[in-house]
Amino acid sequence: MSEIRIFGIRHHGPGSARSLVRALDAFAPDCLLVEGPPDAEALLALAADPEMRPPVALLVYRADRPRDCAFFPFAAFSPEWVALRHAQEREVPARFIDLPHAIQLADGFGEPATEGPAAIEDEAEKDPETGPATAAMRRDPLGELARAAGYDDGERWWDAFVESRSEAGEDVFSAIAEAMAALREAEDAMSENAMSENASPDAERFREEAREAHMRTGLRRAAKDGFSRIAVVCGAWHASALARHHAKGQSVRDAAILKGLPKTKVAAAWAPWSYERLATASGYRAGVLSPEWYDAVWHHGDRVAARWLSRAAALLRGEDLDASSATVIEAVRLAGMLAGLRGRSRPSLDDLDEAAASTLCFADPAPMRLIRAKLVIGERLGATPAGSARTPVELDFAAQCKRLRLSPEGGSREIVLDLRKEGDLARSHFLNRLALVGIPWGTRRQAGGRGTFREAWVLAWQPEWAVDLVAASADGGTVADAAASRIRTLAHATTRVSDLSDLIGTLLDADLAQASADVVQALDDRAAVSSDVFDLMQALPALAELARYGSVRSSDTEPVRRIVRGIVPRIAAGLVVACQSLDDDAAALAKGHVEGVHRAVSLLEESDLGEVWRDALLSLAGQDHVHGRVVGRAVRLLFDARAISAEDAGTRLRLALSRASGAGPAAAWIAGFLEGGGTALIHGDGLLGILDDWLVGLDADLFTDLLPLVRRSFATIPRPERRAIGEALRRPGGTTPDATGHGHGFDAARAARVLPVLRLLLGPEPAPGGDAR
Amino acid sequence: MSQTAIPSAQLRRSAEDAFAEELEALKAADTRPRPPNWRLSPQAVVTYLMGGEAGALAITPKYIGDRRLMEVAVATLATDRALLLLGVPGTAKSWVSEHLAAAICGTSRLVVQGTAGTSEESIRYGWNYALLLSKGPSREAVVASPIVRAMEEGRIARVEELTRIPSETQDSFITILSEKTMPIPELNEEVAAQKGFNLIATANNRDRGVNELSSALKRRFNTVVLPPPATIEAEIAIVETRVAALGRAFEIPAEPPGADQIRRVVTIFRELRLGVTEDGKSKVKQPSGTLSTAEAISVVGSGLALAAHFGDGRLTAHDLVSGIAGAVVKDPVQDAVIWREYLETVVKERAEWTDFYRAARASA
Repeated sequence: MSEIRIFGIRHHGPGSARSLVRALDAFAPDCLLVEGPPDAEALLALAADPEMRPPVALLVYRADRPRDCAFFPFAAFSPEWVALRHAQEREVPARFIDLPHAIQLADGFGEPATEGPAAIEDEAEKDPETGPATAAMRRDPLGELARAAGYDDGERWWDAFVESRSEAGEDVFSAIAEAMAALREAEDAMSENAMSENASPDAERFREEAREAHMRTGLRRAAKDGFSRIAVVCGAWHASALARHHAKGQSVRDAAILKGLPKTKVAAAWAPWSYERLATASGYRAGVLSPEWYDAVWHHGDRVAARWLSRAAALLRGEDLDASSATVIEAVRLAGMLAGLRGRSRPSLDDLDEAAASTLCFADPAPMRLIRAKLVIGERLGATPAGSARTPVELDFAAQCKRLRLSPEGGSREIVLDLRKEGDLARSHFLNRLALVGIPWGTRRQAGGRGTFREAWVLAWQPEWAVDLVAASADGGTVADAAASRIRTLAHATTRVSDLSDLIGTLLDADLAQASADVVQALDDRAAVSSDVFDLMQALPALAELARYGSVRSSDTEPVRRIVRGIVPRIAAGLVVACQSLDDDAAALAKGHVEGVHRAVSLLEESDLGEVWRDALLSLAGQDHVHGRVVGRAVRLLFDARAISAEDAGTRLRLALSRASGAGPAAAWIAGFLEGGGTALIHGDGLLGILDDWLVGLDADLFTDLLPLVRRSFATIPRPERRAIGEALRRPGGTTPDATGHGHGFDAARAARVLPVLRLLLGPEPAPGGDAR
Repeated sequence: MSQTAIPSAQLRRSAEDAFAEELEALKAADTRPRPPNWRLSPQAVVTYLMGGEAGALAITPKYIGDRRLMEVAVATLATDRALLLLGVPGTAKSWVSEHLAAAICGTSRLVVQGTAGTSEESIRYGWNYALLLSKGPSREAVVASPIVRAMEEGRIARVEELTRIPSETQDSFITILSEKTMPIPELNEEVAAQKGFNLIATANNRDRGVNELSSALKRRFNTVVLPPPATIEAEIAIVETRVAALGRAFEIPAEPPGADQIRRVVTIFRELRLGVTEDGKSKVKQPSGTLSTAEAISVVGSGLALAAHFGDGRLTAHDLVSGIAGAVVKDPVQDAVIWREYLETVVKERAEWTDFYRAARASA
């Protein structure tokens, strides 16, 4: 009869891992069974590879749909990892006994197909439905026990109740099994009630039953295979259920549960993982809130407090912040005192965190954020040996390449894509996504300017990008997922509103609709707190275009519209203040922004936004101390929009040109007013006369000074209009009816515009120097 | 001195007098070890501040907020490090400091009020010049500051508004805090601090720039920031009780304000202070003012006075608008933009706030 020990552990709990090592050393098993995917058993040997550095994760995914995958992350302090390494060092065979993912990922397993472990992100969102209490209890039952005992971190509870009792030995595990049995009884009663209202716990329950049945079966098989000392490492939650393995009739019941389950083909791979990713709950395993801290606890045990605070001080010094050794000593003392005050033998992370905040950081939140990012969550990246099995992203990449007929090969070549064709559009999206995950396989070249359907790319594959593909696994199961996740990260890091609105363009180029909500949210947040009105003004045109026309793919423009509705009043509120004290160059920029916003607002065709903007322009036009170029432009825009009458415009023009305002500002005002079209002068009653009087009234020196500026303003007016202005000026004088420049009532410039159309109609270029000219 | 005879005449009683009964009960029930010269154990001090029970007596909470902050504060004092309480005005810094001192050493009266005019003498010692002239320098002629008295008696000294004290004068604290002695070179003597001596300083962290602490001094303090009320309900409760008390004190003949008006004022203050709307969905810009709970109280108070004397006695949006705008717009240019933006993007969207939006537009 073989001896079987079941060790219920806390996933990713360093305290649990330490107890487990002691217990395994004492028990010296000849076979190790671990709650893990049997589909990946072939990969277990790689764990011993010297190049394998945790954190790493086992990925199990459907061969036909790599998107559907499950992750099993391991950190150096994960009890499962510790157990596996223990077994490998002693050459004890190790097996995974969980229900294979070939079954769990199969269509129709448990319940509706949508509800698989595949939907990794969904898992967390689903919790509220299944009742948060039970879901949390399943994920981290020891954490729940700790909460019941008034601790807010399972690790600290474990520390107080398990670690500090050195004589406890492996009894710990039987005690835990008992506690779990009690918890499960309570939970059973609870879900009996819940089940009548809600069907979804049913599926969750079925999965659990099937998994436990399979684990029990694995246990019995190991016993049958003749191992005499079998160690089972599983989540504490399952410990009591597995203990029933030899109950009477259990094997028959288990077989019944496992009978006729659907199956699919799955593949498995090791992928490098990161502490950051470990910290965000992934899969049905517990997300670890503080991986780097656990790492420190695992490696340094008792001396962790002083060490951790010294590292914090070193980190601050690296950022040029004061952090002396004396302060570290005070921090250690305060942490010790806090632990004592709270009735603990050793400082926990909370105590250290508060001690560091109040001594090292002077209660300043910014350095604390740094400490939390680097020393609580951590940035450690794992590595997997070269040549281990392919990750889902690699497979997805290969599949996409095949589908899109692109092959990664050395040397460079150019391809031209016609975006009207579906295949070419998909290629363009694919290349853009790859660029986002750090694989600039294709370099975009300008082909025929904007607005065409053609895109030219130069493709040049670099072999080292294979590594980037593996690394991308940490961000998602497919190239698109990984790219979307990168975009989200980018969106969080970007602070300028205009950069974010560019990012929306990137989003469309790469067709990553799934990330658009995040980018839009980030944009909304930044826009709300941005005090840089010009930044907002710069961002608006692109957004307005998107809100008005949408993109080819996403028809839902409402979120963008909402942002635009928020941005326009903000611009309007800050416009006048932002336009104060500008020099000539800044004024030119500001003028451009004002025009851009004006166009965007007219494009939106929302009457109340138009009104808000018009009010803002009106108050801008009434400013005395704003640069003339901007004010002149505002008046012109208002005049064109018929918001002010020609008479009003005339008054403003006269005021701007009056001697008191000085000739320089007056010229700038004219420049702003006239740029881009002279119809206002032709049709605006008396405007021209006012301008004429001003120009004639200038004294000789001033005239010479201002001439270039005025000339430049007039140069932006199209030629025919300029001539019309000239004619209008000449008319009151009445003389010289003829001599209207070259040609006789024939406008060469306007005639020339017809030529391209004629060329199209008549075919290619006629004989050289054809007499069309 | 009889404690019971005075209260009716005294405007305000110090913490150790007002809560003498609670402190006695805690002391009687306290079984845990006490740091030298402490009246209570650290745990009992925390209970005194946060409320709880001591024997049969219920202890009223003095500080409503995060217990962990009080634990850090008490642990700091127990490790004989000086404590610096930071916070915007109206976050109960002085209140906490007073109660800590009362609970730990039995007196909260060893105070130095920091001002721009605080001199070294008021931190170190001065001279009784009559004695000095008649008898020459002697210990008798030394006029000890509250700090020196605290050192001698092993008690807690308090410094209010530390950052208002000129930097040169602030430096006097460095010796006191690092050497725990106060030399008197004129007598070739020194005052050595007894066990139990410590210092609690308060400072406003909004205008830190007034007299920024030198890093040498900063290093000698553990810093605890007291935040504004965490939830809107807590803040509304504070405003309601204070406004009611003010109304009684100044005998304002107005109806008590409606809960919805107070909620609105507190909502505006919180949203602008925290930079995010109450529903957490969109961000708003933060103006330069502190927008403390105390200011919200005064806005409602002055609104009530307006309503009583110039209106029909009922608090309306019109009575509140000018007060709120005045509290928000401290910088006439930037804050005005922020206020206008807030009106247009947040207030305007709330259907039930139309009266307020109109009133604000009209007065803008």
